[in-house]
Amino acid sequence: MNTMTPAILAASTNLGPKFMLIAPEAVLFVGAVLCAVMGLSHARAFRAMVPWIAVVALIATFVTMLKVWTPEAATAAQLPMPMLGKYIIALLCVVGVGHVLASIGSVDRAVERQVASGTGAFDPVRVIQGEFYAFLLLSLCGGMLLCHATDLVWLFLAFELCSLPTYVLVAIGRGADRSMEAAIKYFFLGAMSTATLLLGFAFLYGATGTLELSAMRESFQMQAQTGGIGSVAIVGMLLAVIGICFKLAAVPMHFYAPDVYEGASSPVAAFISFVPKVQGFVTLIVLLGTVGWSANGDSSIPPVIAAVLWMIAVLTMTLGNIGALLQRSAKRMLAYSSIANSGYMLVGILAGPTVGIDATLLYLLTYGVANLATFGSLAAIERNGHEVDSIDDLAGLRVRAPMVAAALAIGALSLTGIPPLLGFWGKLDLFVASAESHQRTLLVIMALNSGVAAFYYLRLVAMPFVQEPTPRTQGVSPVPSVWPRLSALIFAAGCIALPFFANQLKGEAAAAARTDLDKQATVAQSVEK
Amino acid sequence: MSTVAIIALASAFVTHATAHTPTASMEPALLTTLALALGDGAIAAADGHAVDAAHAVHSTSGYADVGPLHFVKAVANTDFAWLKWMLLAPLVSVILCGAMAMFKVKGRLPALFTVATFGLSTAMAIALYFQFGPTLFATHAPLTVPFMDWLSLTWGPGPFQSFTANLGFYIDGISMLWMLFVTVLATLIALYASEYMESDLKAGYARFFFAVSLFVTSMLILVMSDNLVGLYLGWEGVGLCSYMLIGYYATQPGATAAAKKAFIMNRIGDLGLALAIFLIWTNYGTVQYDSLFQAIAGSTSEAVQGGWSKAAIPFLLLLAVCGKSAQGPLFTWLPDAMWGPTPVSALIHAATMVTAGIYLLARMAPFYTVQAIGPEWAETALLTVGWIGCFTAFIGATIACGQFDYKRVFAYSTISSLGYMVMGLGVGTAFGGVYYVFTHAWFKALLFLTAGAVMHGMAGQVDFRKLGGLLRVPGFRLTMICMLLGCLWLATAPFSAAAESKDIILLTALTSHVQQVQWMGWIGVLTAGITAYYAFRVWFRLALGPVKIEPGADQHADHGHDDHAGHADHAHGGADAHAGHGAAHGGGAFHPHAPGFRISLVLTLLAIGSVLAGLPSYLAHSQGFNWIQRFVQNSSAWMRAGNSEEHGQILGRDAHSTLFIIATTVVVAGFLLAWILHAKNRALGDRLRASMLNTTGLKWIPLGSEHGWYVDQFYNAIIGVPAWLGAQLLAFTDRFVIDGVIVAAIGRFPGFVARVFQPLYTGTVQSYALTMAGGIGLIVAWVVWVWLSGGAS
Repeated sequence: MNTMTPAILAASTNLGPKFMLIAPEAVLFVGAVLCAVMGLSHARAFRAMVPWIAVVALIATFVTMLKVWTPEAATAAQLPMPMLGKYIIALLCVVGVGHVLASIGSVDRAVERQVASGTGAFDPVRVIQGEFYAFLLLSLCGGMLLCHATDLVWLFLAFELCSLPTYVLVAIGRGADRSMEAAIKYFFLGAMSTATLLLGFAFLYGATGTLELSAMRESFQMQAQTGGIGSVAIVGMLLAVIGICFKLAAVPMHFYAPDVYEGASSPVAAFISFVPKVQGFVTLIVLLGTVGWSANGDSSIPPVIAAVLWMIAVLTMTLGNIGALLQRSAKRMLAYSSIANSGYMLVGILAGPTVGIDATLLYLLTYGVANLATFGSLAAIERNGHEVDSIDDLAGLRVRAPMVAAALAIGALSLTGIPPLLGFWGKLDLFVASAESHQRTLLVIMALNSGVAAFYYLRLVAMPFVQEPTPRTQGVSPVPSVWPRLSALIFAAGCIALPFFANQLKGEAAAAARTDLDKQATVAQSVEK
Repeated sequence: MSTVAIIALASAFVTHATAHTPTASMEPALLTTLALALGDGAIAAADGHAVDAAHAVHSTSGYADVGPLHFVKAVANTDFAWLKWMLLAPLVSVILCGAMAMFKVKGRLPALFTVATFGLSTAMAIALYFQFGPTLFATHAPLTVPFMDWLSLTWGPGPFQSFTANLGFYIDGISMLWMLFVTVLATLIALYASEYMESDLKAGYARFFFAVSLFVTSMLILVMSDNLVGLYLGWEGVGLCSYMLIGYYATQPGATAAAKKAFIMNRIGDLGLALAIFLIWTNYGTVQYDSLFQAIAGSTSEAVQGGWSKAAIPFLLLLAVCGKSAQGPLFTWLPDAMWGPTPVSALIHAATMVTAGIYLLARMAPFYTVQAIGPEWAETALLTVGWIGCFTAFIGATIACGQFDYKRVFAYSTISSLGYMVMGLGVGTAFGGVYYVFTHAWFKALLFLTAGAVMHGMAGQVDFRKLGGLLRVPGFRLTMICMLLGCLWLATAPFSAAAESKDIILLTALTSHVQQVQWMGWIGVLTAGITAYYAFRVWFRLALGPVKIEPGADQHADHGHDDHAGHADHAHGGADAHAGHGAAHGGGAFHPHAPGFRISLVLTLLAIGSVLAGLPSYLAHSQGFNWIQRFVQNSSAWMRAGNSEEHGQILGRDAHSTLFIIATTVVVAGFLLAWILHAKNRALGDRLRASMLNTTGLKWIPLGSEHGWYVDQFYNAIIGVPAWLGAQLLAFTDRFVIDGVIVAAIGRFPGFVARVFQPLYTGTVQSYALTMAGGIGLIVAWVVWVWLSGGAS
């Protein structure tokens, strides 16, 4: 069923417009290289500049994106979802800056302190700051490149570019044995999931004979009209979806999340609870949105895939929330919360392209902001010089670090979905989407889950504000660097301020969720004639 | 400075008198003539008989039934997009003051920003009046200005399947009027506060101005919004600021308790507003004023559908009004709100925020019509509004008579005045109610600020029995003269702006066809007499008699010394950099601290404003229209123009002159009583009170009045005590039944499930990989068996 039309051939050979569009990623790549080089400088001042280079690179990327990413350019590049990249790049840049700020001061802290006090000399082998920020930027770069994918090869390479640096980040972020263990786990299981994804891609290629997304879609449409999509394609898509589930930390690929988050340093845990989710959902949207949906001509996913996704969504949110209930470790709890949030976002995917994708994209934003406020707050405090992990350490935090306590509480309330805050708008959109697509059962399950989630999120509000400080929290204090604190505060403020622009954000998400495929198909047909 | 006020006051009377009669002698015969000339002219023109023929339609069947509603569709005009800066200017001040509070900036900068941005908003409000006012008065069409897309949800194509609440502005007469006086008064009071709060420069100065700026922003959102959700946002915002400012002196338990009380009382009202908005949406499918009013105007009384869910709307709105405007059962929070700094009492708890309830009633007037809820309910709703207002006016006045704290007297007078305004809307004269809001805002702000000046100078002494003869204390003469003016206005002295506006309410009530409404009018007249008594009871005690100054216990204005211990030491140190802030200096001699330039300036301006507030009514005679009435006529309040305009008779005589004579007599009687008991022969007053306290049958009068008729105690008994018992019971249940039995059985279930799955999370890579692979295998197997074997899609 391989029907490559001349128009699509032309699109795949004419790379000019595509290269124009990856200018933002190119800028970011340059930033990454600069970070890596500067991190090895002998001068302390230069090394201290590394995070700021990362920040500047992200801002420059954002600006470049605004310049080059016009609707015309995106259409010329024949992207399946022309404005998706704009939204995702903006999201990754803004939240990425927050992640960079949240990690300032924690990487290389011991080494730099020794160098500063003169008790240790600078050793290029021991410092990792340069690598840390370079890999962080490269991972973001991979996430951005996903939006440019028009074929499976690009999609896969971008997917891996986003994944691989995260393994390194987990390993080097903390400099402890536990982070090594976490990194190994993350890497091996990640490799396994990638293999699953790749196997799925292979099946898809086998079923359609093409790697081009649009050609693949046409092939599926043809198959659907002539007796249904074959089993090979279904299994392929299924495997791809399951492979992606690892990035989402969705059932059945969620087991690693609590261990890895706990092992990673707080800023890195914040990073891997957000960026891989963006990566996973963008891949899922590109894959299902361009190949799966509209295969039946009525914008619906093949029922098998829908049934599996439905099950995954329900299990993910339920198991995630139940798992979080028992945790005494704040990071493990947030790991389970991130699992549950993936379940919510899958509801948007299930609701379909016209009503649900924008809800998922909006939720990614609301989750990213609130998640950073919460994790950032954890990164901004320490207990006797060590990372704070147990929820008991947060008791009476309002006395020890009032600003951090406020940011933590706002972030947690936003994740709960308390009305004026940002999280509410994300959840509301998902509820509306599932109501609109008549997914009543899913809506009820999601509502029940949100209620259960309040139980453990509110602990993050009650512990700092209702509980009195305990002797155990004697050593809890803000970290020396002001930036993690500020990052948490800025994003907590975002949870309050952004709802005023809820409509604009929704508009942006809706624009990003729009697909041009049908238009392109008609163009292709007319060219054929 | 003081001369300005006197001249202004005098000139108002002189212009007035010369315009109508050569001499304003107090001879009874002349008085009647004057009454006829003035009362008739001013009030008849004020009622605006001929201004718009469309409004004159009225029916004799029932006073709620006023014929077709007068709806004019709003016109969108983006030329006025600059209006958003009116909101954003104070918001800038909020952000700056907030930042300064956070970084503990110690300086006068916050006041500067606040006054400057408020001034900017004032300028814009005035500019709006001049640019848009003529158009509005000519075309009657309100203005809508889109500002920001905020909420727009759609979940289907049907009429009830979307919800829009964008932040936009809806400018008609009443919103414009409120914008004008809110910004002007806020600017003046912020200026006053910049001096008044100086003792807090090192502590809460920035925090204070942060809250005041946030208050003005919220208040402007409240009055400018073009939909109910925006109004609700502002409504909650002003409530929050009120809470923050009442509890400003957070180290004092009384202040925090008062703040909580105000907040909780307001929550009860807010619940009513929220429910009303829900019901409005379920019935009309929109919360935008323009579409709502159009929908109501388009329906007829026969076609009213919806039963209770529509009929409940006006009552729920009234509940909201009771909370915010301290009416009826919910009024007890307002006196306690006096714990806040005095400028706050003036701005928020007298002049502006508490009138938000009146604004809501005026804005939502179409919901009190037969077109909206049918004839029976419309009449019941209006009568309820009237009775609540009337009852509150009376109760507030009676309590004010028994208070010894002059600030509390003014607080109860505010409750009473707000009662008049609510009553005005209830008896069917939106114009009277709104005009009284306007005049009241001026003189009540003035009264509170003079009270504040006295407290500021007397180290927080609020008991007027411990002060006296202040008129003769150097530096306090202007303050006392301004307070005299305020008391005259509060007592609705004849010809004062307050009397001009209040008389419209009483006139409408007394000439009504409905017996009940007439009773309200008579109670209103009686209340006016009581008001005159208690207003002058305060002034005579404070201003006249021998000079007596017992300074308050507080180091500063009206707050405790515990939060300013350092400052107290400083004052005792001798080198008094604080210009004699009312502190007991080394030797113990007390020097009253006379108000400075800024306070005097603001008092003078407010005094002038209070006098000028009567101008619309005085000029109505020559101009043929009343300035304030034009605002009301071009607003949603006028859609139900239920004013019985035919000016019937009172006691079988001409309405205007009779009312004038009766009202004047009652007011003068109250004044004379106060003069006898509190100026001429204070011993007599004290003896009278003592003998009443000793007489079993009369004891309840002074005691009840002093204790606010024990309403607080009553609430505590019927709500507080049962709630406490209930809480104990619930706590017991929680501990022994829920935790002990139910949690053990059901609550452990998630934990149980979690524990069932716990073995899967062993922590080793191999087992994770195995579990994941198993998961993949399960899914694939399930799909293959269940779906693909049947050959589905």
